[in-house]
Amino acid sequence: MDITPETVAAAVNSAASARGKGTLPNMMAFGRALKQLGVKVGLSQVLDASRSADLIDIAERNDFRALLRANLISQKEDFPVFDMLFDCFWREQSYERVPMETMDIQGTPSESHSPEGGDEEGGLEEAMAETVANENIPLENLDEFSMPTYSPQELMNRKDFSEMGVEESRAIARAILLIATKIATQISRRKKIGRKGNVVDPRSTMRRSMKYGGDVIELARRKKRIKKTKVVLLCDVSGSMDCYSRFLIQFMYGLQNELWGVETFVFSTSLSRITHLIRTKNIVDALDKISGSILGWSGGTNIGRSLHAFNRNFAPSMVTHRTVVVIISDGWDRGDVSLLEKEMHDIKRRAKKIIWLNPLLASENYEPLCKGMQAALPYLDLFLSVHNVNSLVSLGRTLQKMVA
Amino acid sequence: MTRRQLNSADEASVHPKQLTIERVQEILLQEKYVCDRALATVVYLSLVMGKPLLLEGEAGVGKTEIAKVLARVLGAKLIRLQCYEGLDANTALYEWNYPKQMLHIKLEEIEHGDKKKVETEIFTPDYLVKRPLLEAIQCDDASPPVLLIDEIDRADMEFEAFLLEVLSDFQITIPELGTIAARHRPYVFLTSNRTREIHDALKRRCLYHWIEYPSFEKEYEIITTKFPEVESKMAQQICAFMQKVREMNFYKRPGVAETLDWASALIALNRKQLDDKSVVETMGCVFKYREDLHHLREQVDNRQFSIDALLRSAPEMVS
Repeated sequence: MDITPETVAAAVNSAASARGKGTLPNMMAFGRALKQLGVKVGLSQVLDASRSADLIDIAERNDFRALLRANLISQKEDFPVFDMLFDCFWREQSYERVPMETMDIQGTPSESHSPEGGDEEGGLEEAMAETVANENIPLENLDEFSMPTYSPQELMNRKDFSEMGVEESRAIARAILLIATKIATQISRRKKIGRKGNVVDPRSTMRRSMKYGGDVIELARRKKRIKKTKVVLLCDVSGSMDCYSRFLIQFMYGLQNELWGVETFVFSTSLSRITHLIRTKNIVDALDKISGSILGWSGGTNIGRSLHAFNRNFAPSMVTHRTVVVIISDGWDRGDVSLLEKEMHDIKRRAKKIIWLNPLLASENYEPLCKGMQAALPYLDLFLSVHNVNSLVSLGRTLQKMVA
Repeated sequence: MTRRQLNSADEASVHPKQLTIERVQEILLQEKYVCDRALATVVYLSLVMGKPLLLEGEAGVGKTEIAKVLARVLGAKLIRLQCYEGLDANTALYEWNYPKQMLHIKLEEIEHGDKKKVETEIFTPDYLVKRPLLEAIQCDDASPPVLLIDEIDRADMEFEAFLLEVLSDFQITIPELGTIAARHRPYVFLTSNRTREIHDALKRRCLYHWIEYPSFEKEYEIITTKFPEVESKMAQQICAFMQKVREMNFYKRPGVAETLDWASALIALNRKQLDDKSVVETMGCVFKYREDLHHLREQVDNRQFSIDALLRSAPEMVS
């Protein structure tokens, strides 16, 4: 959801009816408004916030802000939304209803807090809706997105999307599932009890020895368990990738929902994290949310800068020696190639593997000549094509070999 | 796993009931921990409400430190559970002392002891190895202990689920012994470096605070609090340098821990103020990667980053 002063004000208004005298109703209303803006808030958190309000002097606006924030918000990313709502909600409170007389009136007007106008985002949403409309896809069938393809020899390519049957879309889903499990399977350091393990487990050995009067006859052993790898997906959605975008959405959505521990980003000239947007069981919702909040869809490409943003803000905490970084892009870069190279180098240092999926690779006479691709090539563990179901299946097989 | 017990004189200890936000800030400052009002408010709430506090932030901003310092000022025992991948209930909670149990069984065997009796004997607290969580729950001190669960993001999901259970009831069931409930709730602090997201259910049980890199003024205060002997000019220069460097593109951005290391190194070298030479000599305190050191040198050589200019402008930055 895009957060603008208007949506914040709307949330305040719709929660207004729940407000009343005293701390608790107001807190509940505030919690409800937060929820409406897409922040996850539990009832117990609201109750705790209300309970703790007695502990401080709520006339101290900043203390009160800290109190509410500590109780209700549990990730840094929600701070800006919280701050906007806080300013709007408790300002109105102070001079319209005044149930908490001590409330400070000097809140800054919420309008000045809006980071950017809502116009562009609205425009994008429209554009997105238009794309959907033009292609005659009823919303219910969005999950039957077909594969956009590059290589002309594929029969499936030439089919109109509307002709694309359930069979194909199932094939895609199956392929994604296959890939998902391949990427995701890895040996864990945690151990479970098993007969063939190589480490003796004293706890259960002791337990078993009880039945022999304390003599150790059977050794219980532990063996390593399968552990899931994390996957970070960086997806190019710039103009040159346009014809693949529907496939990409399905791919991102499918991977995100098949696997635990997937982080998804899209980039064109800048980078946006969309993990939270597509973490839903309904692809239509996911699409709505994405279209509502991504800037620069179908714009230019600056891979270097996007990767730089990723390395600076996300990689230190998200990418570990167990993370597979998957970049999907055609490598047409209008930015600084040396920056791209440096950033690829940084990712390479942190990550277990880097996989680059390039839809253009399917074309027989394609050579990775563009500068961006050239710069990135030395750092890749795998350079593969994604353009149709078969390529997905072979990607799955390759990954299987790689992980095993 | 490290467990440290910090004793402090009883008269120095502070009871949470007597606290206010200002008082929290004050007592932390006495222990040389500079904290802003928002953090003080959250810590105060956590102590008074008895709700765990989840602290997140970049590496080296003082997340772990605050729990240590609090244990000291509260005169409470600090119990630390360092999380790592593969940490399980056995290592976090309790384990039976198997060699000791075996020994006991063998001895009883020689004396033809009663089998039933042996069984009850080897499952008594004498044979129990207490791990941090059990220790925190069983702690019999007059004041509740401070339980620091460090880098929770490094433990796996299974452990998180287990922790959720412990943190909601503060009681532990050992099948052979029964249920052990906490005499008083420990003050719980969790830290996370965000290598992965913590589950919502666990977050919901905690207060949350994000510790930012300090501002110029705050960092200056931190240095001068920790090292009163430092030349004020040099402290300002150090802060200006750190602020600048954090805006730049390094593989690992330095935290406050690095600032303090650096300051103490410069003091040890008897420097009164910074110059290009001493910066380059001591850069190992701030950057721990060859690439970062290289990057800095490159920037200096290309005149994109002038230490001289930065250092000259430093004193004016204090408001």
